[in-house]
Amino acid sequence: MTAPMKTFRQRTAWIAWIAYPTLAVALCLGLWEALVRINDVPLYILPKPSDFLARLVVDRTTVLAQALATSVSIALGFGMAVLVAVPLALAIISVGTLERGLFPVIVFLNIMPKTVIGPILIVWFGVSPAVAVFIVFLMCFFPILVDSMSGFRATDPRLRYITRSMGASAFQTFRYVRLPAAMGYIFAGMKIGIVKAVEGVIIAEFIGSSAGLGFMIMRASSFMDMELMFSGLIATALVALVFNGAMLAAEKFLMPWNRPRHA
Amino acid sequence: MTTGASIVARGITKVYGNDSSAYHALGPIDLDIKPGEFVSLIGPSGCGKSTTLLLASGLEPVTQGSIEVDGKPLTKPITEVGIVFQDHLLLDFRTAMKNVMLQQEIRGLDKSVIQARAESLFERLNLKGAENRYPWQLSGGMRQRVSIARALVHDPSMLLMDEPFGALDAISRTQIRHDLEMLWLDTRKTVLFITHSIDEAVGLSDRVLVMSKGPGTIVEEIKIDLPRPRPAHLGEYPEFTKYANRIYSIFEKLGVYKFK
Repeated sequence: MTAPMKTFRQRTAWIAWIAYPTLAVALCLGLWEALVRINDVPLYILPKPSDFLARLVVDRTTVLAQALATSVSIALGFGMAVLVAVPLALAIISVGTLERGLFPVIVFLNIMPKTVIGPILIVWFGVSPAVAVFIVFLMCFFPILVDSMSGFRATDPRLRYITRSMGASAFQTFRYVRLPAAMGYIFAGMKIGIVKAVEGVIIAEFIGSSAGLGFMIMRASSFMDMELMFSGLIATALVALVFNGAMLAAEKFLMPWNRPRHA
Repeated sequence: MTTGASIVARGITKVYGNDSSAYHALGPIDLDIKPGEFVSLIGPSGCGKSTTLLLASGLEPVTQGSIEVDGKPLTKPITEVGIVFQDHLLLDFRTAMKNVMLQQEIRGLDKSVIQARAESLFERLNLKGAENRYPWQLSGGMRQRVSIARALVHDPSMLLMDEPFGALDAISRTQIRHDLEMLWLDTRKTVLFITHSIDEAVGLSDRVLVMSKGPGTIVEEIKIDLPRPRPAHLGEYPEFTKYANRIYSIFEKLGVYKFK
């Protein structure tokens, strides 16, 4: 026998990994369903899971189209935030004057609630997905910037002695040492950013968009369409789940050296 | 194989800062290190041992004085050197072998030559089987061995070690001391070795330079005339005890030890 045999427990581990959460969710929904039925709560107060899950299936094309619009806003805003924040973090760390000059501005913008800029954006862009993209950008930008800065600072200064003794150029030091060393920090910022992005995109779509799940939920609200609002809630959670999963997959792919968290 | 370089320093000093808060860390001191010699610097914390090492490699500029390596004046960091610090300073995103191969990647050396040398170093440093492990999967002693392999893989003429075994347990230290000595006997690199340990200084060196602080100067030079390779239990040489006692008495005279 060459390969070590996996035990029965190891081979069936994934079943438990899926079964337990599924069971927990099913129990919650079942309890919800039962309580609403027993107490005869009217639909316009609280829909049963069977109501809005059925609605989700019936209106799947609409919900899917809106979820897609929301996802595009998240992807654009988030992507732009990464593309601007990471190089800016490196520039700020590398140039002392930039750090002293920009840091107060960054702190101010970071503590400012980003959604207050919504009405202004509506004036600039009209009621359009651009408002959502911009708010997503602002929401993710600061955590990514701040964590990237910590990342680029994290290299032990004595490591510079070692790379200099190798005759490394500034670019080589960046490419072989500083960037990979900062990756963990950059990902930490991106993981915070993506959570904020989902939150921001929905609020932005509430106030100033003609598409997306936030827009759909807001419109359903004006029609008192409880089923569709709850469907939108589930769809939003699923979008968040997909983006989070994509982040974790990207992290695993780009940082294969990362120590397993549960080991 | 590159043989050891000579290091000659004349009246070197190091002052950090240039205003009223300037700190005179070192010197003036002279160094005359022969090619292939194993020289230790020993002394209390803050006596300028590490500064001496940084000056000798050109990684920090001298404030005064001059240094020649192999007869050439030192003006910028030399690259014919391997450095090991007390912390392993391995990149935690690279496996042990990839950490060592960083020398090849940055210097643009021939991959197959360096790979072969890295493999033989892994063998000699008892690192077989650790090649594809990440630093966090290795023990402290193994990480330091990888760090030594990284410092030697490009065949430098000089090895600078700043308390390389300072963070290891006593048993690992004794073994790694012996492994380093065996490697040195084969390659005869010039080694500048900084330590707080009298056992290590006497156990490894051809010559021990005892330093005192405020500002750091060399107060005594002790030639260690013991056969090599030296044993695990150094106490079995009466000569060893004599050398060790001499360093202890210098420390007592300097006020490093205040025993009642």
